[in-house]
Amino acid sequence: MGMIIEPHEVFFGSFLERFNMRFGPALPAGLSVWHSGGIAEIAALQQEFEIFREGRPFLQSAALLGLTGPHGGPANDRWIEYLTRLPRMRSDIDGVNGDERIVRAIVENLKRDTPLPCYMRAYDGRTREPGLVIVAEDHPVFYLESVTFLTISLPMRPAQPRAARAARPRPQAGTRAPRRRKQAS
Amino acid sequence: MVARAAGGDLDPAQVHARIAEYYTQKVKAFGSTPLGVDWTCQPTQEMRFVQLLKLCDFSAPFSINDLGCGYGALAAFMHRRHGACAVDYLGIDLSGEMVRRARRRYRMHGGTRFATGSASPRAADYSVASGIFNVQLDVSAADWDAFITTTLQHLAATSQRGFAVNFVAAPPDGQRVKRGLYTTPPGRWVEYCANQIGADVQLIDGYGMHEFSLLVRRRPAV
Repeated sequence: MGMIIEPHEVFFGSFLERFNMRFGPALPAGLSVWHSGGIAEIAALQQEFEIFREGRPFLQSAALLGLTGPHGGPANDRWIEYLTRLPRMRSDIDGVNGDERIVRAIVENLKRDTPLPCYMRAYDGRTREPGLVIVAEDHPVFYLESVTFLTISLPMRPAQPRAARAARPRPQAGTRAPRRRKQAS
Repeated sequence: MVARAAGGDLDPAQVHARIAEYYTQKVKAFGSTPLGVDWTCQPTQEMRFVQLLKLCDFSAPFSINDLGCGYGALAAFMHRRHGACAVDYLGIDLSGEMVRRARRRYRMHGGTRFATGSASPRAADYSVASGIFNVQLDVSAADWDAFITTTLQHLAATSQRGFAVNFVAAPPDGQRVKRGLYTTPPGRWVEYCANQIGADVQLIDGYGMHEFSLLVRRRPAV
């Protein structure tokens, strides 16, 4: 029954981890090292190259930072596919899609004198309205409870089995939004 | 080739061979990308270039040697960011595989050349070397120290106006570093360049990385 699904095809935690490592708390200034690494590095890169900017998809900026490959195989492909859907998702701010919400929040955060470290996580999308990207300042890591993060919560839901998809009621004729035709350029 | 400095037991050619093999394997695994030269991504790679190129005066044409050039990312960066300035660029790398890929990338670019080796075959206005002192592998501390000093002396001898290098900063006490990664406090090499090479040294840090860059300028003749 079913397909040959390997664990490495569905576990995406390493991609979130990669983001969280790069955007994590910076090393505090010490005797021989200045405030560096983590969010301090990202802030410096942003100041020099403006990696995150309005109008540029989050996926593109993430790719520039090496957060979308080359490791991961099928799971990496699914992760990239997920990120391409962000512009079609909603967010916790009315009229702002999921992609814009993340990019704007990161841009604003990196403008601060002391940017917050960022933390990306998945949440069970069935618990909220579908496809809702949430950004908040909170304490998502219990063992770093004194550190405030800019937390980006991405909705995810279990894949529906093929049988369940087939049993789903299909929209009646005339009720579906008309599909746009591609314009020849 | 670079002359052998006192202090090391390993033949410099053996040190160079190990480095060449390491980077050859990297570029074979990851191609002509930042990962292929052991950097995390293009922005961090180019952030280092930004610091090193603070040495150069882009208001007039100049020549530059890029020691440890890899696949030639610095040439592309200079062309993109400082394209208005005519630069005579020579990239040198220990890895023949790197140089082969660099030549293929820039075969249509005049003023951009590459050579395989451990030292520059010519003198230039400036020299830069990004990240070449970081990957120590299993080379002993004494041999690595000798490698750095001989390379700095070579850079000084082949740079008419100055040279720029970078290092990974030593972490705060008690923190571990990756095995095979060379780290150092800035003072050691600031003093070396000032006292042994007799140059003016500018320390650049605080650009978000656990690193620092040294801009080493030739002192004006009295």
